[in-house]
Amino acid sequence: MLDSEIHDLSDDADYAASLQQGSASVMLCNDSTKESSSASELDGAEIVYSKENVAIHPTQFAISGRLKLIKQGSSLFMTWIPYKGHNADTGLSDKDRNLYTIRAVPFTEIRSIRRHTPALGWQYIIVVLSTGLAYPPLYFYSGGVKEFLATIKQHVLLVRSAEDANVFLVNDFQSTLQRTLSSLELPRAVPLARGPSNMSVDESTLNENEERNDSGVNNGSVSVPQFHRRPRHKVHDPARDLSIQVLEKFSLVTKFARETTSQLFRENQTNGFSTNERRTQIQTNLDPPKSSNVAGKISDENSAVPDSLEFDNLSLVWGKPRQPPLDSKEWITFLDSEGRVTDSEAMRKRIFYGGLDHELRNEVWGLLLGYYTYDSTYAEREFLKSVKKSEYENIKNQWQSISPAQAKRFTKFRERKGLIEKDVVRTDRSITFYEGDDNPNVNVLRDILLTYSFYNFDLGYCQGMSDLLSPILFVMDDESEAFWCFVALMERLGPNFNRDQNGMHSQLFALSKLVELLDSPLHNYFKQRDCLNYFFCFRWILIQFKREFEYEKTMLLWEVLWTHYPSEHLHLYVCVAVLKRYRSKIMGEEMDFDSLLKFINELSGHIDLDATLRDAEALSICAGEEGAARIPPGTPPSLPVDEGSFYIQQDDEVL
Amino acid sequence: MPSRRRTLLKVIILGDSGVGKTSLMNQYVNKKFSNQYKATIGADFLTKEVQFEDRLFTLQIWDTAGQERFQSLGVAFYRGADCCVLVYDVNSVKSFDNLNNWREEFLIQANPSDPENFPFVVIGNKIDIDGGNSRVVSEKKARAWCAAKGNIPYFETSAKEGINVEEAFQTIAKDALKSGEEEELYLPDTIDVGNSSQPRSTGCEC
Repeated sequence: MLDSEIHDLSDDADYAASLQQGSASVMLCNDSTKESSSASELDGAEIVYSKENVAIHPTQFAISGRLKLIKQGSSLFMTWIPYKGHNADTGLSDKDRNLYTIRAVPFTEIRSIRRHTPALGWQYIIVVLSTGLAYPPLYFYSGGVKEFLATIKQHVLLVRSAEDANVFLVNDFQSTLQRTLSSLELPRAVPLARGPSNMSVDESTLNENEERNDSGVNNGSVSVPQFHRRPRHKVHDPARDLSIQVLEKFSLVTKFARETTSQLFRENQTNGFSTNERRTQIQTNLDPPKSSNVAGKISDENSAVPDSLEFDNLSLVWGKPRQPPLDSKEWITFLDSEGRVTDSEAMRKRIFYGGLDHELRNEVWGLLLGYYTYDSTYAEREFLKSVKKSEYENIKNQWQSISPAQAKRFTKFRERKGLIEKDVVRTDRSITFYEGDDNPNVNVLRDILLTYSFYNFDLGYCQGMSDLLSPILFVMDDESEAFWCFVALMERLGPNFNRDQNGMHSQLFALSKLVELLDSPLHNYFKQRDCLNYFFCFRWILIQFKREFEYEKTMLLWEVLWTHYPSEHLHLYVCVAVLKRYRSKIMGEEMDFDSLLKFINELSGHIDLDATLRDAEALSICAGEEGAARIPPGTPPSLPVDEGSFYIQQDDEVL
Repeated sequence: MPSRRRTLLKVIILGDSGVGKTSLMNQYVNKKFSNQYKATIGADFLTKEVQFEDRLFTLQIWDTAGQERFQSLGVAFYRGADCCVLVYDVNSVKSFDNLNNWREEFLIQANPSDPENFPFVVIGNKIDIDGGNSRVVSEKKARAWCAAKGNIPYFETSAKEGINVEEAFQTIAKDALKSGEEEELYLPDTIDVGNSSQPRSTGCEC
């Protein structure tokens, strides 16, 4: 075990680079074929701290493990590996434990550590990452927080926050830029010279024999000190900003912990009373990998915690893991015998966590988009389909019956048609469905868009619509059905294309407010750089990240967004998640508006969708009602409020 | 003094949707043409190093969405421009007629210090199509318009075939450079401040 863990830090240039970049995809166990021991000895990886019986309490059950600090070269890493085969009575599988495993997080990715020393119960720490997300609290059943912090201090710069003596800011001094900044600004703000002896950790309050289940959950939700924000100093003080930020994050983290815990409790309680179908559903939510074949093989073995790749991406984020797509077998469990969706919330939730098998999209997208209602039966949907088909033909006929002579005197029609024709021939032509000369699907794309511009003559056609329609036509593979699904989508996204751009402005405004809430240093950075208009996110929002992901991923993202779970505006949290993921690069390289726009444009094809969705989910839960309050009513994809005139004022604030 | 001179020249390409703005930019910078360019959403830019009289400059060429509806974004993208390229498709009257709108909209949104003398360059693109047989805007007509707008330099190009693209952009770069230097002479005191700390008074901050 020891060998394999040291081996985790094998000297792989790509791996080291990925760590330096703060990549969330920490892949540690993917090269077990290398001759490990000799390599790791050469690396000089050294365990500088090891503590048994450090536990997390993700549910009412605790998971115990070993916490270690590992030094490799000039870098320090923290790992927390749950014990194998212990805790069998907790009802948690090895997969659950593996999910929470902290695999060698470098201290360059850790922003701060907060120590909690409650009068009763165990001491615990919360490790906050530079992304703003945090691991669950780590409880030291056998003491050792003081020693832990002291060890860290020997290897990386650890400074006590000026704001709160229990918060320790981590600075690894990896880059010269950081070194310069810190030597210039940090020393006058925070006491650097404090030795470990000054940390008055009272370990005598620890009671190792205490019943585990008693205090775990309680501790998770107490002892968040009230934080009173002081008036901002005129002199810009990064250390102060950082600590304020850190404290704000802690309150969010605790809130998240509470919600997650109570949610799990709720689900466990319902479980006892529910039908078989419902139980299956909950089980799937709680224990996602069970339905995947890979995980299924090892599910009953206590000894072998798999180092499979599927878990590697999960360890950094304290949120629910993504699931495999919903398949037809599971889909019918959401329907009654006549085809009605019995529990649309559970269904949306399931789709949120895993998306849909491609062959299901054709049936489900119409429901998600609101074209078909959840309480409609198979027969009713078939009937609506035929009614809507003739309705579509009628609208289409309106422009088809325009004669050449009439068109000559109908400039607006000719212009619209021209614009649409120019765009459909350059929309997703590399996708098989649309590729090649004289592809009939390209003509269908044109016909639907032209028909839509008659159906909604005021909105007409706008660039970006062809991007939104293309996957819908591909999935529906029926002109009329695709049209009506597109209509349903445009009910929500139409304002993106308004002439006054108010839909876009309100979303960019809301985005700026969310970043302000969830990452105030980044917000301040954008403000300083005159980037608060967030135009660099324009493409993301206008066409729902269509240009940022490959086709299949786009479809997955869209169905996830359309579930409106956990937030109707999850796409804005997706924006925040991506920005946060690259925040250190953005600020470290001091990007201005131009380079930021370039950087964002070039992220296309390089965004890890699953990790981003997990971040976005965690962020939306963190932001909670406060986040929702920052999004103006009627902001797309919310349905429009009556002639929302309040946008105008807010535009001024941003633009 | 020479060390103070700006080395970044910002060029904005404007024109109707589908006239070939992205293609022109890519032909000039990457010497490539593709039928697969998607409609530009928002904005993007490419950079290219250019040399004039032993001095190196970075030409930053901005490609924007062509639909009128997105013009309100211009404020963010046009500011600080040193030259504006107006592109039309010689096979589309409408795209030529719209040059005037694009020019005026640019002057309003970019708000250059000396709008009368702000350098524009006009490009008539797609001369290759159908061997020129589908052409509907004559060179004479285009040149007349350019002359009337203060002798705007005019080029006819094919981004697809790479015809005249290099020549057009050389003029564009030269005019941008001239514009940048004139601005220095024109506002000698503000250049230093602008280069060092970029304070901008948009009225909504601090």
